Amino acid sequence: TFLFPVDIMPLRFCLMVNKQGQTRLASYYEWMPIAERTALESEIIRKCLSRSELQCSFVEHRGYKVIYRRYASLFFIVGVDTVEENELGILEFIHALVETLDKYFESVCELDIMFNLEKAHFILDEMVMNGCIIETNK
Amino acid sequence: MSIKLRDLIRSVRSCKTAAEERSVISRESAMIRTAIREEQEQFRHRNVAKLLFMHMLGYPTHFGQLECLKLIASPHFPEKRIGYLGLMLLLSEEADVLMLATNSLKNDLGHGNQFIVGLALCTIGNLATPDMSRDLATEVDKHLRSGSPYIRKKAALAMARCLTKCPDMVEDFVDRVVSLLKDRSHGVLVTAVQLMSCICEIDPAIGRQAFVRLVPSLVRLLRNLLSMGYSPEHDVSGISDPFLQVHLLRLLRVLGEGNEEASEQMNDILAQVATNTETAKNAGNAILYECVQTIMSVESEEGLRVLAINILGRFLLNRDNNIRYVALNTLGKVVKQDAAAVQRHRNTIVECLKDPDVSIRTRALDLIFKLVTPENVEALTAELLNYLVVAQGENRSDICTRALAVVDGFSPSERWRVDTLITLLTIAGKDCDDRVRASAIVYIAGSADDVKAYAVHKLVKAMRDDDGSQEGLLVVAVWCIGEFGDMLLSQCDAPSGVTYQALEPMSVIDEVEKVIKRVTCPSTVKQRSLTCFAKLTDRFSSAPPAVLDRLREKVRKYESSMNLEMQIRACEYSELMRDGRGALARMPVVDPKVTARRQARGGSVIDVGAVSSAAMPQKSGPGAVADVQGGGDLLDLLDLGGGGAPAPAQQVAPAAQQQMPQNPTQSSDADLLSDIFAAPMPGAAPIQPVAPVVGGGGGGG
Repeated sequence: TFLFPVDIMPLRFCLMVNKQGQTRLASYYEWMPIAERTALESEIIRKCLSRSELQCSFVEHRGYKVIYRRYASLFFIVGVDTVEENELGILEFIHALVETLDKYFESVCELDIMFNLEKAHFILDEMVMNGCIIETNK
Repeated sequence: MSIKLRDLIRSVRSCKTAAEERSVISRESAMIRTAIREEQEQFRHRNVAKLLFMHMLGYPTHFGQLECLKLIASPHFPEKRIGYLGLMLLLSEEADVLMLATNSLKNDLGHGNQFIVGLALCTIGNLATPDMSRDLATEVDKHLRSGSPYIRKKAALAMARCLTKCPDMVEDFVDRVVSLLKDRSHGVLVTAVQLMSCICEIDPAIGRQAFVRLVPSLVRLLRNLLSMGYSPEHDVSGISDPFLQVHLLRLLRVLGEGNEEASEQMNDILAQVATNTETAKNAGNAILYECVQTIMSVESEEGLRVLAINILGRFLLNRDNNIRYVALNTLGKVVKQDAAAVQRHRNTIVECLKDPDVSIRTRALDLIFKLVTPENVEALTAELLNYLVVAQGENRSDICTRALAVVDGFSPSERWRVDTLITLLTIAGKDCDDRVRASAIVYIAGSADDVKAYAVHKLVKAMRDDDGSQEGLLVVAVWCIGEFGDMLLSQCDAPSGVTYQALEPMSVIDEVEKVIKRVTCPSTVKQRSLTCFAKLTDRFSSAPPAVLDRLREKVRKYESSMNLEMQIRACEYSELMRDGRGALARMPVVDPKVTARRQARGGSVIDVGAVSSAAMPQKSGPGAVADVQGGGDLLDLLDLGGGGAPAPAQQVAPAAQQQMPQNPTQSSDADLLSDIFAAPMPGAAPIQPVAPVVGGGGGGG
């Protein structure tokens, strides 16, 4: 067995949740029943909110490792499955995603994502397919 | 009237309460359902968009699935797009509706417009079932050779998904992948590399065989990336396309593992990446992290490994928590391979235990447990116990169990071991599980006399200081006081310079009494205190009669207790105290290896021969150690040749490394005596578990 195995589906889910716990965007790369999703989202955001700035951006929750970063009022959350994933790389990906959204919406804010949900989804789908990163070129 | 998506969002936002939101959504839901029934075409895409929004909020939306299918079939691009998006978000692989989409997908795959083809590929990439994959694989394959890089990269990942779902198709498509590597577009390269990693994961044999000869080209790609000048489209904080670099490193890792030749080809580039990458930014660190993982996995040379561990050491000292976390994580995995190198960083790791961040603390704890060696065990355990004082609830029992493993494996001396266990119980008595308590007792009982005395004195003091919350501590303390109470009557000198004064028998009884008088005292402690008092009548046999009377009185008090267990014990102990015939004498020491073996066998077999015969003052013959089953149903009594009756007192021996069960009903005195007068059973042979002795008769006193 590998010491550091490589996962087929690095990203399991990608969420954008605001500080009040309202989900602004949710993209799951493996099927999860809807009740479980809402529970998962609220628990994760609670954990993220309770951590201060100085703490790690990585949290373990229910078998997933969750990597998050806060941009203004929105938390960008990515869940990965195995412990072997490159967390720093995922952080970079989150940053690339934010920069892309920024470029598209011209100084993006939470409202932009809320009211243009489908566009945000399209952009995300251009960058990630089935949990694998396709394109990071802005 | 159908409202726009924006308006819906706005109205949901303006809801003040959850109930209001629910009513808005259900109203809109009803309208959409009506619209679907009436087959209104013009607002279909708007309705589906609204459904997506509601789905995200968590409301049921399955009635919209067929709508998505209709949208997909529409010739208009925006409608198609929403349809596919809806499909991807609302449906899962298991949905039967998905099959109906296959035909549309096939048509769209052959479409002239590359964006439509892109949409279809995207959907296949995210949703394909095994059947769909089989159908559509050849189509996807054609697009791998398409003229547009946009299509190629999507096709690559769609192919990855198809192959994951149908592993048997891998051989057909493997060669195609190779040509993708020559592509200029980074998007295609990234996906191609991921596709290759995927294939290696699905079918390692084929994957490696096909791709291993590509290692030099991969290395060359990586080298180009490193030496490439500034390129605006791929640059991330000064580093060119870190994502591609990371994926390339990952693929190299998969190909190089176990393969000497491939690893050799990678050595140079790995060293180059490790030394030249800038560490000021996160992107650089991400690459370094991946590089370190790769170095440790492939058959790299010694120098390279040392380099990798040094990088990890540098990470550990970084102020950024993320980096430290990553370093601790990785060190935990490589410690098996290269323990010496990791030991060098031990002090930093111990410092991490005190970090305010809980993720870092957990990782540091893991790592420390892996780092324990006979040389550093004392220092490390001291740190661990310090940490235990502040550790949070969920971790505590885990830490206790692991600390026990450490103590089992690495104790430098008996005294240290006993000491550590007592401290452990004092800090986390109520969190540690029964194995810790049992081991504590076994070790104390098995140690030399002076250590025993020291242990008992220390336990009394700890019990006195405790406020009644540490159940484990109380249980062990009470048991030891009962068993070794005579040692309390003499002074004891501890090595740390502390001298424990000799205690009067009365004050010993007082201590125990204080504990059980507390309202919060758990019943397990009270039960054991009865045992303790009973045994003390034997240990304090040379004390003035007032003491013995008091003890008897204490036990008698419970003869009419409401608690059945207490009542039984009290009655039986009263009888035993009257005429115990050595039943209350010192218990023999349990050999932990024997009990472990016994546990492994799963039965409650008494192996008298194996009981280590420490020089215990016995009135007659070796005592019996009853091993009580977890369920507590079977009672194992070993009858002794003449003399000592099998003491019920021994059944409560926590030496059984199982849970402390409610003790099974013990036979009354009458039955015991009848057993003794029966033919004595051979003492040396292992005895099979016998049926409960409580046959009728005393019925548990």
